[in-house]
Amino acid sequence: MKIFVTVGYLGIVFFLGYLGWRNTKKTEDYMLAGRQMPPFVMAMSYGATFISTSAIIGFGGVAALFGFSLLWLTFLNIVVGVFLAMVFLGGRTRRMGLSLGSMTFPELLGDRYGSRFIQGFSGGVVFLFIPVYAAAVLIAISRMLEVSLQIDFNMALVAFTLILAVYVILGGLKGVMYTDAFQGTIMAVMMIILVIAVYSRLGGVVEAHTALTNMADLVPPPLQEKGLIGWTQGLAVGSPLWLTVYTTIIYGVGIGVLAQPQLIVRFMTVKSDKELNRAVLVGGLFILLLPGVPYVAGALSNVIFHQETGMLAIQVAEGNIDKIIPLFIETAMPGWFSTLFLLAMFAAAMSTLSSQYHVGGTSLGRDVSEKALGLTSGGSFRITQIGVAVTILATLIWAWTLPEAVIARATAFFFGLCAAAFLPAYLLGLYWKRATRAGAVFSMVGGFSLSMFWLLFVHVKESEAIGLCNALFGKVSLAADAAQGSWVWLLQWVDPNVVALPVSFILAIVISLITSPPSDEHIAKCWSRLGKKA
Amino acid sequence: MLGFASLELALSFWLTLAAALGCVIWGVLNWNKGDDDNPE
Repeated sequence: MKIFVTVGYLGIVFFLGYLGWRNTKKTEDYMLAGRQMPPFVMAMSYGATFISTSAIIGFGGVAALFGFSLLWLTFLNIVVGVFLAMVFLGGRTRRMGLSLGSMTFPELLGDRYGSRFIQGFSGGVVFLFIPVYAAAVLIAISRMLEVSLQIDFNMALVAFTLILAVYVILGGLKGVMYTDAFQGTIMAVMMIILVIAVYSRLGGVVEAHTALTNMADLVPPPLQEKGLIGWTQGLAVGSPLWLTVYTTIIYGVGIGVLAQPQLIVRFMTVKSDKELNRAVLVGGLFILLLPGVPYVAGALSNVIFHQETGMLAIQVAEGNIDKIIPLFIETAMPGWFSTLFLLAMFAAAMSTLSSQYHVGGTSLGRDVSEKALGLTSGGSFRITQIGVAVTILATLIWAWTLPEAVIARATAFFFGLCAAAFLPAYLLGLYWKRATRAGAVFSMVGGFSLSMFWLLFVHVKESEAIGLCNALFGKVSLAADAAQGSWVWLLQWVDPNVVALPVSFILAIVISLITSPPSDEHIAKCWSRLGKKA
Repeated sequence: MLGFASLELALSFWLTLAAALGCVIWGVLNWNKGDDDNPE
């Protein structure tokens, strides 16, 4: 049954990839889907790229541990990641990109500031770091394939890579977005079934929450000490858990999402702002389901597990939070659902991976090789296809060679670097005519370097996994042997963006103000489609 | 309160639903606005 459904699913994916390939004639088709995507496809592709397997399995498991506090993350995903992003950044990005003829996010930055260095630098950052982030997604789904279909891990890794390679290299962004929309639809339908099943099994919405409320005295003592009062009671203000959950939500996800090149490029794939307005409707509902439903299901899994086994979710999963959601699906849902849920997980991983490959490839091909280094042999189209192939290969190599602890931290790495390197130059570039090339260069290089330093030498989660700090200085973080409880000692848990992002903003603003403004002619060109409000 | 023990978490539930509803309302109200001929 599982094999049959999987083959059927792959058949449709290949067909949609073929449609993308057949309708791809010129560079603009390959890189921006011809700027003609319908709003439904754009919104579903945006959402499916945004949400990978880790948001469902990983964060769903975290919700089982910490409870409903994680819903604030969904709230911010909808408000910031969909509404603010599409309404306040999407339209401007699309129109400025059209005026300047930009094909990628690094190219938009490069064109706005009139700098090939900016395009090459941004493209280089994306190309170098996105394969490590993609490797994390690839490993996760290959492990799942290993467990559920009994396929050897290495074979799963190669098979997955080959399937994706075919439709991303040939189909370009059209292939990627058509398949994303199909995969996003599968994910959304499965979540609707899941949320109805969970609430009806527990007798209704209020009854389900009440049952979880009544379990507050079962919170394990170690979690109580760190600040968890109960799954519907929340976290004690100022406790370590409260700090972790809220700073990660606000900085890591809430703001980080605005600077993701693979999401920003989607704003440039639609014909007009009308499509973006319509996409807000679809995107808002999609993000409500994903990641909203896995969080609700994760938290309520405690009630169902307790009724069935007398244990909490984390105890059933023997302490491994990544096992909670798969175990919950297996034990609490009918057999046919677990087969289709597996498919939804494939869909979630493939839609994220395909976009990572595509954005890495356009960065290497278009931004670095063609524009920054001036290599033009074979034309833009061919160079980008080669770029995609190199990105796919790099991802496979990372997945094979790096230890998994490093790979898992790579996601945080990519989000941190993108926010500090790109967000100020991007936001100010869209809204502030006075922002200059020098301001953008200082902000990008400064923000990137500080974020990198923080990740390698201060923030203990990454610095410990990577080990460079230990190799050079004999300690896991430079802040590790400061007096315990002092502010220097606490720095090792402070997110890099708390430090690097403000510095990057300050550099962009101060350097812009002390350097001469861009020419009126250039600004007029950039703002030519931005209307009276500009 | 929908069975939640704290106002904060009840609020997170309601506001998440309200945010999604807000997106739907925005989409419906602006369904035909924003054509290229008629910017903003």
